[in-house]
Amino acid sequence: SPRFIALCPTSIPSSAGEGACIEEEQRSRSELRERFLRTLIKMSNKPVNFDMYEGVQVRAKFGASDIDVLNFQVSELQTPIGVQKEALLRCHDMISFSFDV
Amino acid sequence: MHGWCERKPPEWSTYLSKLVKVTAHSNQQYEGWVFTVDPVSASMVLVTLPEGDRAHVRVVLGHAVESVEVLQEENKGNTLRLASLFLAHGAEALSP
Repeated sequence: SPRFIALCPTSIPSSAGEGACIEEEQRSRSELRERFLRTLIKMSNKPVNFDMYEGVQVRAKFGASDIDVLNFQVSELQTPIGVQKEALLRCHDMISFSFDV
Repeated sequence: MHGWCERKPPEWSTYLSKLVKVTAHSNQQYEGWVFTVDPVSASMVLVTLPEGDRAHVRVVLGHAVESVEVLQEENKGNTLRLASLFLAHGAEALSP
């Protein structure tokens, strides 16, 4: 989609170099990414606290993330002005988020 | 930290399972054991392990990371505990 092309590089930047170096980089990349995806799986359907810019804190039940970690789909978003049943949070507006396992 | 997002996976891997202090936007600081750094968004997954089976997970978005300081090297007990937190019972590792 045009959005994907605008927001995501079509190729992953990697070190130009020897085959062994690229292989090692890919191995690290896949291990790190697998761990991150497992974190997201662990987070699904759990209440999560989001620290946004400007000191705003909101709480919501995490649903899903898009592949490029740009947006999160959440439910029961508790904001200072009320509860939003379903919402998308832009990851660029967040500093961090946390949950218990 | 300038360039945190531009680092390469092998550099992020050097932080795995270590106790770090991350300074993020507006001087917020977070401490925890590094479970992973997402290679797409450069976000860090930090885990704190209080007593008992509970664990607290904090993810700091890559774009907000300003500096990362290693406080303690990895130890085998915690590395195993981190892995067991996120791997469901019976789940197989996907990496070759």
